[in-house]
Amino acid sequence: MTSPSKEHTMRTARLINPLRAAVAAAVLFVPAQAASAAPAPPAAAAESQTEVTVSPVDLDGPVIATVKVTVRNSAPQRLRSLKVSFAGPVGWAVQPSVQSVSGSFATGAPATATFHIQVPEKRSGFVIRTFTATATYQGGDGLGTATGVRTDRSGSPQANLAAAYNGVAITDESATTAGNYDGEGNSFSAQKLAAAGLTPGAKVEALGAGLTWPDVPAGTKDNVASAGQAVSLAGQGSRLVFLGSGVGSGATGKATVYYTDGTSTTGSFGFPNWSFDPVDAHGATLVASTDGRNRPDGYGNATVKYRVFANSIALDPSRTVEFVVLPANGNVHLFDMAIAS
Amino acid sequence: MPEIPEVSRRLVLGGTLATGALAVGLGSAASASAAPGSAAASLLTESAAPRRAAGQKSMVNVPFEPHETVRVGVIGLGNRGSGMTTGWSVIPGCVVTAVCDIRADRAKRTADGLVKAGKPRPVEFGGSDGSYAEMLKRDDIDLVYIATPWEFHYEQGRAALLAGKHVIVELPIATELDQLWDLVNTSERTRKNLMLSENCSYGRNELAMLKMGHEGVFGELTNGHGGYLHDLRALLFSDTYYTDSWRRLWHTRSTASFYPMHGLAPIAAAMDINRGDRMTTLTATATAPKGLADYRERFMPKSHPSWNETYINGDLVTCQIATANGRTIRAEHAVSAPRPYSRINSLVGSRGIFEDYAGTSTTDARVYFEPDHGGDTWRDFETYRKEFDHWLWKELGDEAENGGHGGMDYVLQWRTVQLMRAGLVPDIDVYDSASWCAPVPLSVKSLAAKGRPVEIPDFTRGSWVNLRMGLDSRTTEMPPVAP
Repeated sequence: MTSPSKEHTMRTARLINPLRAAVAAAVLFVPAQAASAAPAPPAAAAESQTEVTVSPVDLDGPVIATVKVTVRNSAPQRLRSLKVSFAGPVGWAVQPSVQSVSGSFATGAPATATFHIQVPEKRSGFVIRTFTATATYQGGDGLGTATGVRTDRSGSPQANLAAAYNGVAITDESATTAGNYDGEGNSFSAQKLAAAGLTPGAKVEALGAGLTWPDVPAGTKDNVASAGQAVSLAGQGSRLVFLGSGVGSGATGKATVYYTDGTSTTGSFGFPNWSFDPVDAHGATLVASTDGRNRPDGYGNATVKYRVFANSIALDPSRTVEFVVLPANGNVHLFDMAIAS
Repeated sequence: MPEIPEVSRRLVLGGTLATGALAVGLGSAASASAAPGSAAASLLTESAAPRRAAGQKSMVNVPFEPHETVRVGVIGLGNRGSGMTTGWSVIPGCVVTAVCDIRADRAKRTADGLVKAGKPRPVEFGGSDGSYAEMLKRDDIDLVYIATPWEFHYEQGRAALLAGKHVIVELPIATELDQLWDLVNTSERTRKNLMLSENCSYGRNELAMLKMGHEGVFGELTNGHGGYLHDLRALLFSDTYYTDSWRRLWHTRSTASFYPMHGLAPIAAAMDINRGDRMTTLTATATAPKGLADYRERFMPKSHPSWNETYINGDLVTCQIATANGRTIRAEHAVSAPRPYSRINSLVGSRGIFEDYAGTSTTDARVYFEPDHGGDTWRDFETYRKEFDHWLWKELGDEAENGGHGGMDYVLQWRTVQLMRAGLVPDIDVYDSASWCAPVPLSVKSLAAKGRPVEIPDFTRGSWVNLRMGLDSRTTEMPPVAP
């Protein structure tokens, strides 16, 4: 299924700047300085009078697609010395990556630049493709740069986090070989987790959210090594709470929350390593601590604590969450996520 | 350096370079005399790309004219040629109309075999080194397939183009730079496609690797590694496998990467060489030649003719290639020492890596990429090959499994016939063919200059900057065959 989300992105555009939505068709207009902030302060959007739009991209690959980027100057001063760069998802070849547009452009006058992009065969599952065009210029609104982002979606998010389980974090002490939480065949002990109150389906209250411990037997898939999966989650609240822990080092990343109105916000969070980081690393909160772990050769490391944490990101409480794109970092492991009011 | 007997230029890679006379042909006098240690100054430059003759135009994106039936003429009916002749004969909409070998009995035997298999009898040519030219005069040949010893590929490929045929040539299409340029020019003048018969570019793992690269799974590609690592010693010393021991004799004449294309081409395809990037410089290294002499010492009787030979090619010849977009490719050639077979096939980007020949499950390959993977632990390729399987393998996998080289030959031949019958642009064009074969003469040049980098010509004459389709093709039906 392809849903380039013309409707989706037009609604997005209207929310940011109703007056420009009709012109910016199918394009999320983001002033450069607010491109990664969430959500953008209305005042910053109002300052920009340079509109960058990206035409629809033929995603029925493999194909070399043509993309037109339009830059429209709404400021009273003429816009000149325009350079436009364009990029697709990482690894997608673009020709050229940047080009100069000659001339100067009066109020309302559009400037266009055409690019070619190598679009691969469409992937199954839920995919978000992001295309970014950035204009640098002199004159116009005086800001010197503006960015347009086009986001196309295809497929459907996972129904829930359990549907995205991709690894075995918990094993019985009598059968440890199925586990591989850390990439080295180690896992939590089901017995020790139970002693800490974490039995299958147990309710966990953390950071104002009601979470559920994986309700699956030991030795089966029970957690998500985070890899940018999209997972459905409905509701409203002030924070999104994650339950999990880290493996390796640097178990941090950005989660993007998409709302039913087509907008999105992004927040960063992280977990300490399940055994060796300080319990408050990355601002996390300790939920449970167990003694030892299951190794491929059986229970061991009894004097070491193996832990589960909670952490959260902010939500826009005025909007209804539709789905969440998890961090693109396999060191972040999740057992559940829920909305805190 | 050992004495080298006087031989024809076509039998010695790099001409006088290979014999140690370095002064001529290395490019500008300035570069040849530059002080060592200055990378820019030490680059051995080629003269600028030759200008196209009046009326001569690029063959980039030039499709075949549609053919209802593809009529194939085969030159060279040794082990490779005879096997591939059978392969051509079973592709839907393809018929072998002529076969040729300097040994006429081979032509007859091949023709008999086709008849026995229920195919039309091809016209036989043979008996002299000019027999192929007679075959090329026929007007019932659309595609000429060449599987003769390397030294004949250039003149036979060129002659086939001039006879108005499309051509597909076993590796390499030519062994000298001027020959490669001439084939490019001849293709452009005759408006006929010339393709390297690079079957490994159609390998199942290679094509899935290519598609993963295009998807961006590995991030921005930075480097790749391929090669032809095949213990050929027993075959090289066989008195029957390579006619007149032609392949072993190359090891007595030249120090070069004779045959890196099977490993180089899939990496080049994944990096869109000639389709957005291009290979710019090559640096070669070679080990001492030890393997063949050692094998002969242990296994060949003193009466064997090989005892009159001196082997000069390195057991491992490595070409380090740089590209315009800042990538590197390492292409290896090693056929003279014991080892399990490998084409290496490694592709690396900013977010991950693919490695073939890793001994994993059914695919033999492994991957590791972010964000899907962590813990510095390889993952089996099997799941990803299913997801990124090329449509040709989804379509032909069952049929291909009975073909040569794990099915790659069948896929190559099926796709070539399909491209011609449907009137499509070749996946592998004359520019790819020339670029992938250029390391053969350029390795000679770099090695003769003690490993100095050598400029790789731009056979596209500037068109490499444009993105275009190649082996990562769209699903297409084979035109139906008339009953």
